[in-house]
Parts: sequence; C-alpha cells; structure tokens
Amino acid sequence: MNQNAYFITAGELAAAGFDNLPPELNSAKHMIYSSPATLDYNSPGAKGFGVKRAGLAIPGSVMLLVAPGCCGRNTQLLNALGYSERFFYLLLDDTDIVTGRYLKKIPQACAELLGECSTPPSAVVICITCVDALLGTDMERVCRACTEKTNVPTIPAYMYALTREKRLPPMALVRKSVYSLLEKQKRVPTACNLLGFFSALEDGCEIYPLLQSAGIRTVGEIGRCTTFAEYQALSKANFNLVLNAESRHAAQDMQERLGIPFIELTRLYRLDKIRNQYRLLGQALGVTFDDDDCYQEALETVERFRDKYGALKIAVGECLNADSFELALALTEYGFSVPEIYGTVGERNFIFLKKLAALSPDTRIYSNLSPSMLNYRCEDEPDAVIGNDAMYYHKNVPGIGFQEEAQPFGYRGVTLLFEKLDAAMQGVKP
Amino acid sequence: MSSLLTHLSPFAPDDSGACAVLYELGGITVICDAGGCAGNVCGFDEPRWHEKQSALFSAGLRDMDAILGRDKLLIDKLCQITEQIPAEFTAIVGTPVPAVIATDYQALGRMAEKRTGLPCIVIPTDGTKYYDAGAEQAYYAVFDRFAAEQYPTKKNKVGILGATPLDTGFTRAADVTKGMHYDEIVCFGLDSGLDEIRRASECSVIHVLAPSGMKTAKLLHERFSTPYVILPHVPGTVLEQCRETGIGDKRILIVHQQYAANHLRETLYPQEDYLPWPAQIDCATWFKFDPAYANENDFRIRTEQDFRDAAKQYDLIIADKMFRRVVPDYKGEWINYPHEAVSGSEGASI
Repeated sequence: MNQNAYFITAGELAAAGFDNLPPELNSAKHMIYSSPATLDYNSPGAKGFGVKRAGLAIPGSVMLLVAPGCCGRNTQLLNALGYSERFFYLLLDDTDIVTGRYLKKIPQACAELLGECSTPPSAVVICITCVDALLGTDMERVCRACTEKTNVPTIPAYMYALTREKRLPPMALVRKSVYSLLEKQKRVPTACNLLGFFSALEDGCEIYPLLQSAGIRTVGEIGRCTTFAEYQALSKANFNLVLNAESRHAAQDMQERLGIPFIELTRLYRLDKIRNQYRLLGQALGVTFDDDDCYQEALETVERFRDKYGALKIAVGECLNADSFELALALTEYGFSVPEIYGTVGERNFIFLKKLAALSPDTRIYSNLSPSMLNYRCEDEPDAVIGNDAMYYHKNVPGIGFQEEAQPFGYRGVTLLFEKLDAAMQGVKP
Repeated sequence: MSSLLTHLSPFAPDDSGACAVLYELGGITVICDAGGCAGNVCGFDEPRWHEKQSALFSAGLRDMDAILGRDKLLIDKLCQITEQIPAEFTAIVGTPVPAVIATDYQALGRMAEKRTGLPCIVIPTDGTKYYDAGAEQAYYAVFDRFAAEQYPTKKNKVGILGATPLDTGFTRAADVTKGMHYDEIVCFGLDSGLDEIRRASECSVIHVLAPSGMKTAKLLHERFSTPYVILPHVPGTVLEQCRETGIGDKRILIVHQQYAANHLRETLYPQEDYLPWPAQIDCATWFKFDPAYANENDFRIRTEQDFRDAAKQYDLIIADKMFRRVVPDYKGEWINYPHEAVSGSEGASI
C-alpha cells in the first residue's frame, strides 16, 4: 500500500505529454478529495464566486434556488457578505423529482418571493442543479413562464457540478447568463467592457490609463455596476476585452446578439509576455501603448525582491488569482525556484508546464483533488508560498493567498504579487 | 407555498447527517455525488473537517457516469483509494444524483465488498430530507453490521448515541460528557471509532441525545437487552440566559430537535431557580417528531408560515437565532438556543 501523496515531476509530465496524463491528475478518474485546502474550488457555492454568488452579479437581482435542500445548505456562508435578502429556495422532495410537478410551481414561487422583497428586484435568477441536469429540464421555457407571470426578467443559472469538465462548465455558462439580460442598443465607439471576472480589476491596474490613451472613455465591468441602468449600459460597448477564457462563451453570445466583437487577453505574470500582449492589443486597436513606466515599475519590484531575499524556493497553489503553471514559470524565469505546485493540469496550461519543465524539470506537481493528498507531508519546506491552498499545506511558512476579490492583472498584478510577498516575508499577516 | 423558503436557508440534509455519524469511524466514506454535496458537507456541515482528518471523498460523478450507470467506474475508484488509505470498512452515502437514476445501492455495496474485501455499508440518503433521517440510517447501518458480538456488560459504562456536531455543536466528546460521572463513557462516533461500536454491548445503559439515535438504541436493546434513556444535552449558556431573562408566568416556545427541546422544558419546570413557573411551555421542531414524546400542545413546524403563526402565541421563544428572520416583527423575548443543523457555525455565537 503506497501511503504517500501522489506527485509527478514537471519533466516526467512534459515527457509523457498531455494525452498521457496520469489518472491521479485526472479528476474524472478518481474520487475527489474535498481538501480543506481547496473547498472553495470543490464546492460551487462555498467561497469566492461560485455559480450562486456569480448569478447575483446583476445589480438588484435575486436568486431562487430550485433544488433539494442539500444543494443550498452552504449558501448561508454568503449571508455574511450581505446576500441574505437575495436568496430564496424552492425545496424539492422526492415526489417533486419523480413527477416533475415542481416545474409548475416555479412561476408561483417567483410571484411569492417578489412579495417578500422590500424593493422590486431587477431580475430573478433561477439556479438549478444536478437534478435538472439529469432530468433534462427546459429551464429557459420555465423562465419565460415566470417572466410572463411576474413581469420581472427571469433567467436560468446552471449549477451543474456533473458537467464541470465539459466544454461549457457551470462557471462559463453562468457568465453567459449574467450578460443575457443586456439588450441591443447603439454602440458607443469610446466604450468597452472588461469581461472575465465578477468583481472589478484592482483600481491601480494600468489597463485603465492605457485604454484611456487609446481614446476609450468608458470601461464597463459588471463588478462595478451598482444599478441595473449601469448594467444595461454595458451593451453600448464598442468591443469587449475578455480577460478570462471562461468568459469566451459569454463574449461570443454578446457578439451574436448585440454585435459587440471581442478580443481575448490572458492574465500573465511574465513581464515580457505582458508587454507583448499589450503590443498586440494596441495593434488591434490601431494605437501604440506607452507602457514603459508600468513595465519598469513591475520589473524593479521583482528585482528589488530578488535582491533582498535571494533565490527563494516558492511553492505555488491553485486557489489564487493566477494560472498556477504560468505563475510558476514566471517565478522560475525571475530566478526563484518552485519545488511544488498544487494544481490542475489542463490542455490550456500544459503549454506553460512544458516550458517550466525545460527550466525546472524536478518541480513536483500534486493534484489537490487526489485522495492521496490526505497523506501529504512536506519533506522540504519552501521559503514562501502563494495561494490559499499552499498556505494550508505550509502553515508555518510566509505566504500570501493572493485571491482577493479586486482582480490583479497585467504589470500591476506582478507589482502587487511581489509587494504582498515582501510584506509576508517581513511577517505581515495577509 | 409550503416548500418555499423566503427567510431561512435549507437545514442540514440527510447526507450530512449520515457523514456526521461515519466521520470518525475509520472507514472510507464516499459521497455519491458530483462534488457539490461533498463540498457542502465538508465546507459547512462538518466542523471537524478542519480539526480531524477523515477519509471522506466525493465520487466525482460526471453526467455520462450517471446517464450510463457506470457503477463499475465508481467501484474502480473506490478500490484505488483502498490501496492508498488503510480503512476498516467502506461506506457509500447517497445524494440526489443516484436517487434520480435509481441506483441499486445494495448491488453497489455487494460489488464494493467483493472488489475491496472490506465490509461496505450503504446509506441511501437523497439530499431531500433532514440531517436526522440520514444520521438515523447511518447509526442503524453501522451498529446493525458491526455491533454483533455480546461482550460482558461493564457496570458503569455508558454509551451515547446522537451526539453529532449537527445536534450539539461539539466536536469533542469531553464537551458532551462534561458533568457526567461514570467509569467509562463512549460517545459513539465522536472521539471514538469502530472498535467501540463493536463493543457496544459492554455498555450498561445507552443515553440517547437525539431522535436520530433512538432506532439504534432500540436495536441494542433487542440485541443485548441494553436499556436506554433519553438524555439530551442543553448548553449551560441557554440555562443561564433563561435565569437572566426570567421565565415566570410567560408563554414559552422551545424550538430544537425534539429531545433537546423536551429536556430544556423538563429542566425549566421543576427548578426553584426559575420560579415563578411559566404559564405554559410548548415544544416544537422542524425535525423528527414522535407523538410518543410530545405533550398535548407540542407540534411539528413544516413551513415558515407555521412558525410565523405559532410565534404570535408566545411571550418568549427559545430557539436558534436563525429562526428570528422568519418573524422580524415578533415583539416577545428571544433566547438563542443554537442548533448546528440550522444555522451551522453562524449559530455558534450567542
């Protein structure tokens, strides 16, 4: 009996290729460990923006969760964030599920919950779960019936944990849902939207002044909309910038319905790649961005940190605002070493893994979801860690969760990362 | 609409109750779900998740696994784990997904036993019922399976059933047994493992803290003639507040699981500390309600409206503070009687 946590080195994994991913790194091929390190990942509504909280990104909306009680249990965690007045539940019993009779109750439930709202909601989001995934419920149709009965726009949100590894997983579908109430209107050439996150970018991000320098006066983000009118104004954008691939489907839908084209960017932590990405964006917009100062500031922050602390060993998790493998690659290129990564290998980030393997073939890669992580014991403590999961595994090592709601991006993301790491190394608690 | 919750969040479901019983027994517990149910259990309903390690996993079902009924894949995954983690048994806990596709749990159990060589117990919960139903099933299944042998009875050994954190809020047996004076006290499933269940017949008496333990207490009585008594735990903080608030001459409603509510009533009535005696004390519960243990005016609450209507008739309500959301205009007094299965960690602070 092997009682060690499973890992594979970056070198071994790159040599095997993505098509030969070991079963231990493929969550469809093993039981899933809801590690205390990663509960926010494994439980769609537990922490951060899961489907339930994300569905309420539309200002003034309320949610009706139509599901067995077990699916909505942990929604109480969101009460502390001020959502207690915005969640309602239509609980299903076994007879409901067998007969499907609950579908007829939903419009009436919507009407009743409106009576409980102190101010009329802008929209009702109906969240459904694995039960309806299996029953093949046509929730679009049910939502139309609700809209007819209440005159309040009603849309579905699909919390289908069963389809998490599909082409359109729940977090991609909910991104489409939250923009689905936008209606076509005349586009404003000086407006654009940032899609990708449910909260806004960190205020100091250089993308705002860079876009301004390109003549963009209005940058719309759903995380900054405080009223339904502000939300509706998002459809005036001339183009969308997609900062997270999970928003691609939403952007495609907006392109088809509203005629808003999109450009896709990636959140990166390698400065030369960030610069290259901005250069390409500038080309697409017909401008040349002057990003030298931002680049220089970020570079100096990295160099200062490295000079101060030397070539630290930094372990990287996946519960953070970054792609674990791209961040590990960036750290390695900056002169640090990454002994361990706790992450999920996918087709998209395998390219980073291959580059990392060339520089750091001995980096050990663990899967947070593997049951063998119950046996994880660190034999060689790193000097610092990044990610809430990594902090869980290394409680006595300086670290940052780097999973704040204000989203880091671009050069500013790099600067923030090293400033926070510096503070952690000095003993400041995150 | 009876099944609509406009002020409350759902209570702890049956799968959480089953997992609470199995948590410390040394088995490998598999929640037969896609990941969300396990996340709810581990991330919310199981306060021990951050204190005590347990081999509790999600089956990680995907849509095609469910649609095609890939039971073999589930058992393959289970076998894989038994090669990585030592365990005395395996357990499969149901959720809405296997309920929808009508999974044959008994067949799953047989397949698991054959492949792993370990006893397998199956708990056919479906996520639509409350925690006490799942805890009852789990207690019964493990005791029925493992408490088979008759050991010599130890005169001063007590066994406790129903002491899950969802009932008491406690994650340590010492907190449950505080103030009890016996040579040996075992809180089944709390700081104790499968071996204590195997030796359940050593107990001279079983204390039943919650209705979820009653069916198993009766099983032990039938099997070993072990007597049982209902003896729930009432937090000292609640009694203290009752003293401070004063209960004399009031119409009082106590809301909790039935045994806990009854016990508080019995504690309040005959004590001189609480004189003058209240005009009336009624007990109500959202959970299992057995008329055999109810007074004439006790009742079961099924909907928020039931509770709204009932609240009007009382001067003092002793209940989890979460219920206060249902009656924001209630003018009477309120004492928080936390119930983990209702408010989870939110209710812990009085």
